[in-house]
Amino acid sequence: MLNDRLLRVLPRNVRLAVSRERLEDSCMQELRLRVGKPLLMIYCGSERMIGKERDGPYIVTKEDVKEMLEYVGNFSLYAYEQEMKQGFITIEGGHRVGITGQAIIEDGRVKNLRHISSINLRMSHEAVGCADLVFPYITQEGRLCHTLIVSPPGCGKTTLLRDMIRQISDGNRWVGGMTVGVVDERSEIGGCFRGVAQNNLGIRTDVLDGCPKAEGMSMLIRSMSPAVLAVDEIGSAQDVHAIEHAMHCGCRMLATIHADSMEDLRKKPLIDRMVAEKRFDRYILLGKRQRVGQVGGLFDSRGNLLYREAAGEPC
Amino acid sequence: MLMKTIGGVIVIAATSMWGHEAAMRIGNGYKELQYLQKLLYLLRGEILYARSYLGEAFMQIGQTAKSPYREWLLGLCGRMDKERDATFAEMWEESTKACLEASGLPKKEILRLASFGSRLGIADAGMQIKTLDLYLEEIRLSMEEMREEMRTKIRLCHCLGVMSGIFITVLLI
Repeated sequence: MLNDRLLRVLPRNVRLAVSRERLEDSCMQELRLRVGKPLLMIYCGSERMIGKERDGPYIVTKEDVKEMLEYVGNFSLYAYEQEMKQGFITIEGGHRVGITGQAIIEDGRVKNLRHISSINLRMSHEAVGCADLVFPYITQEGRLCHTLIVSPPGCGKTTLLRDMIRQISDGNRWVGGMTVGVVDERSEIGGCFRGVAQNNLGIRTDVLDGCPKAEGMSMLIRSMSPAVLAVDEIGSAQDVHAIEHAMHCGCRMLATIHADSMEDLRKKPLIDRMVAEKRFDRYILLGKRQRVGQVGGLFDSRGNLLYREAAGEPC
Repeated sequence: MLMKTIGGVIVIAATSMWGHEAAMRIGNGYKELQYLQKLLYLLRGEILYARSYLGEAFMQIGQTAKSPYREWLLGLCGRMDKERDATFAEMWEESTKACLEASGLPKKEILRLASFGSRLGIADAGMQIKTLDLYLEEIRLSMEEMREEMRTKIRLCHCLGVMSGIFITVLLI
């Protein structure tokens, strides 16, 4: 059965249609609502239409989308103005709700969205132990290496980062427990609700929720003196600058970035320089050829392959 | 004769009391509207400075509010937290009408407040503040109007109370 947190954000009619399907929470990956189109979901890696066989698929209405927006925004969309600008809202539990519609432009920048036509609910999953495979390669004599997780969207980079944070914070056979500072700009890593992380991030983790990454990293270094800093989806010049600053301050870095391959990563502006300067000691490349979160390659700073997950190897 | 005098005095006292009660009701309506204005200013502050969700803001304000506003706000917060079977505007309208009916607020103001729910929770914070400001301005104008009429109405109620007592007494005697 789907958990209450997820059902609560669904509009009444969609909730009914989804409840009839007897779905397992752990297999649910995405739910897509598009006005006037069938309700679709990604379940256990494959696409599925929702609705009764006799009546055909459930067609999403404008009212459904409007109702869902109210629930997602806790009836207070103004409190999500910044998130709306970026096109998504993170809800309790770290699930991401992507939104598209008509952009309202002010001074050449997106101010807000209106006439919302599509909603994509992406489930966040805690996969405890999914980082076990990578720890032997990202640690050296009990020291954690600066590590960058490289992955296309939907391949489990946040899930892997979350488990790495938990294990580093609690300590495991490869590293002793360390203080971890997490800048969770989109509330996806910790799935914070009213400032408290809903996902298990370990006993020595401090989460700065909803804060811009670059600013958050400096704040954490000054206030919490973390041994490890973790951030999700880096890319801007400020992020790169803040990461370099954190590395100079003696923090070990864990970060994720969107890219298809190492070649793709080297083509990214700003990041190419970091790769060339060997700022990161390890690169974990994720894919989903056999399954989501598969380690397509684990490289050192020179680009040498250290590990590649074999087909059928369990996570 | 003594009985008639006593009866007359009782009638006049009763109608005067009625007049006093009516005058009190007019004064109370104004005071309640003033209190509602204060609560809405608090809501404005919660949205402007803390960017609180409506539920959070209602909880915060409701905890220190007097009855029946306390029950209204906390009840609304509870419904928003638990129930997902109605839009915010529907929940707001229902609880406003149910909880504030006996608050002493003028009926016109309760209806206006009940319909205000559809203007809450919109996507732009600046716009939300302006909407609240507009409603607060409407309340201020209502209060001004009430204040102007209040003194005359209160005096009229007192006079009518006493005069109707005298009139009934004369008729009976």
